[in-house]
Amino acid sequence: MSLQMRGATYAYAGTKATVLEGVDLDVEPGRVVAVVGPNESGKSTLCLVAAGLAPAAIGGRLSGSVVLDGQETATLKPYEAAQRCGILFQNPATQLSGTSATVWEELAFGPRNLGLSIEEVVERVEGAMTTLQIGGLAERDPHRLSGGQAQLVALASVVALRPSMLILDEPTSQLDPAGTRLVGDALARLAASGTAILLVEHKTGLVERVADQVVLLVGGRVETVGPAATVLADPQLDEFGVDPPPSARITRALAAAGHADRLAGLDLAALEAEPVVSGGLGGGA
Amino acid sequence: MRGWTGPLVVLAMVVATAAVARIGRSMVPFALAVIPLVASILLINTFLFPGATDVIVRIGPLTPTWTGLEAALQATLRVASFALSVAVFALTTPTDDLLADLERRGLGRRGIFVIGAAIGMIPRIAERASEITDSQRARGLDTEGSPVRRVRGVVPLAGPLIIGALSEVEERTMALEARAFSAPGRRTTLRQLPDSTSQRFVRWAAGLGAIVAVAASLAGFLPLP
Amino acid sequence: MTGPAIQLEGVSFDYPRGPRALDGIDLQVATGELVAIVGQNGSGKSTLVRHVNGLLRPTSGSVAINGRPVGRRHVAELAREVGLAFQNPDRQIFAGKVRAEVAFGPRNLGRRGADLDAVVERALAIVGLTGDEDTNPYDLGFSRRKLLALASILAMETPIVILDEPTTGQDARGISRVQKIVADLSAAGLTVIAISHDMRFVAESFQRVVVMRAGRIVLDGAPQGVFAEEAWPTLASTFLEPPLAARVGARLGLGATPTEAALVSALAAQAPAR
Repeated sequence: MSLQMRGATYAYAGTKATVLEGVDLDVEPGRVVAVVGPNESGKSTLCLVAAGLAPAAIGGRLSGSVVLDGQETATLKPYEAAQRCGILFQNPATQLSGTSATVWEELAFGPRNLGLSIEEVVERVEGAMTTLQIGGLAERDPHRLSGGQAQLVALASVVALRPSMLILDEPTSQLDPAGTRLVGDALARLAASGTAILLVEHKTGLVERVADQVVLLVGGRVETVGPAATVLADPQLDEFGVDPPPSARITRALAAAGHADRLAGLDLAALEAEPVVSGGLGGGA
Repeated sequence: MRGWTGPLVVLAMVVATAAVARIGRSMVPFALAVIPLVASILLINTFLFPGATDVIVRIGPLTPTWTGLEAALQATLRVASFALSVAVFALTTPTDDLLADLERRGLGRRGIFVIGAAIGMIPRIAERASEITDSQRARGLDTEGSPVRRVRGVVPLAGPLIIGALSEVEERTMALEARAFSAPGRRTTLRQLPDSTSQRFVRWAAGLGAIVAVAASLAGFLPLP
Repeated sequence: MTGPAIQLEGVSFDYPRGPRALDGIDLQVATGELVAIVGQNGSGKSTLVRHVNGLLRPTSGSVAINGRPVGRRHVAELAREVGLAFQNPDRQIFAGKVRAEVAFGPRNLGRRGADLDAVVERALAIVGLTGDEDTNPYDLGFSRRKLLALASILAMETPIVILDEPTTGQDARGISRVQKIVADLSAAGLTVIAISHDMRFVAESFQRVVVMRAGRIVLDGAPQGVFAEEAWPTLASTFLEPPLAARVGARLGLGATPTEAALVSALAAQAPAR
């Protein structure tokens, strides 16, 4: 098990109110667990706690158990946690070290911090570039990339530490549809190669595409957890301020109007995942 | 020649280096930056040198003196040679190389990061400042036209700029931690800066030469500074 | 008011260091229209709207607001007619209290006293922040700060309102709220323009969709037309996809159905519900 949380309860430093309350969560290698919920339900805090950064890097009080790769995060220093679990936030710009002239150097930042040999550093960087298919960006200035490309670079620089688990906090929130698709594809590839992934997202369409399991977090507590298809089809999602994926909305709208039968044999989720124009993108008008 | 040889020798070396490195034109802004200081040095020393009596020409109550003028010119040369030698250093040393070398010599990763990130942040802060100003202008803050208006534009700019920078600090810190920034031990050095024996010899020789020159000058053997 | 609310003629814009961001844009927006501008990042959407309130001046071509050319009029003066809400609220919020933040715009435009208070209250009511007048903006979560930034523009009561990515970072409740705000503004007769990546929001809430690619307008029309099957290759060329409802409608042979509602009506028209 890459991540195992039992009864995790957390409050930020200097505050009394708990932001997470008794959270149980499991993420296995190669599986994508998505967390959905209204804003301010504790999703970002969950990411920091699961990654071992809270309380180690930012203070606060944690009770319950959070086990990353077999070790309690309470016993891990931030740089030790970083090698087990990488974390990605929504703003591409704040995740760049700011000291690298090229993407290659940016990816080398992490391995260099660990004092690895030059050969090892090179291997890690090239490995990360291959996994995320960004070899073409190696010589580019990290600050002059599109949002989607920058997020891939940030992701690669974390993958270069070879963590067995990745946590992503709304990684596509500031991206356009093309960027969202880039990140979604990269996540699917990473999961397929055995990385455990915890993904916080608003875009339930993306969640439907890549997630195996979905957790609904409301007010710091786990409200529901189950297979993605089941949880996303649950009409309760609306009440909790979560936008159901387009396929679920359409299915429900048609059923409510008495036209459910017209969708027989049509897998909406699959339709959505198909490319719109055959032969891929590129035809122009 | 006491008082002249020092700065003249330095200036000669600066000019020679600039010529070889072909940075003559880039030195101009540095030279211009020195002008206000030099102007005040010239004026104050020429007109107000204490105790000087060899007046050049009497212009009403003003009495410029030869002694004053000589002191002024010496001081100007000193300032110029100092400023331009700094300019040569700044213009011929890429920041990355400088930081890589400091790191190799043992300046910790935090020091390197602070310097490198601070320098890198300047264009980004400028960009952010202009975005913030645009937001405020779109809300009716008039920053075009008179200087007074432009100054007024600063207040609604400072808040978001500072708060924005501060609120990013936490996320940036965590992004750094996620890249093992606080791992103990030495970072791997990637850049090998070329450092031939002759370069090393020159560095040591220059350092020793400076010490010898100062000692000789104090002992009265050399007409320096 | 004479003439269209917004008129761009042959507008081209080059950034100082090179790329041509707008290439011969001709665009007319009538008073009271409800328009969405979509396109990949870098297609020129933000550059375009910054020409409407004078933050950018065209390299060539002309811009006119309500019949009057923009020329070299100050941005602050144009702010009486055009309100632009930026994507990132944290790039504008500087006051310690919600009320002061919202009052900044109308105060710059000359409102004072009871008149100013009234305008602030109206704006807060529209975005649902009534009661938070004395709250520190940074005690509000990000989505409510975004609504605060919107309120500070609405308080200027301009006839034209432009929203840059109003739904980004919002949860489902936030998005519904924005949809309602847009509908209410339009019902009140304002000209409303929004830049958005959310195709469902665009298809459901707007009468007209302008699609941009590489500084040009490649599609311009009602959602039915812009998301119809014939237009899909053009959309694909700018890395956009039609909403799922449109794809389902095409698959079922129902013609153009950009929204769930359109899909349901098309089905009902074809064969009544059982």
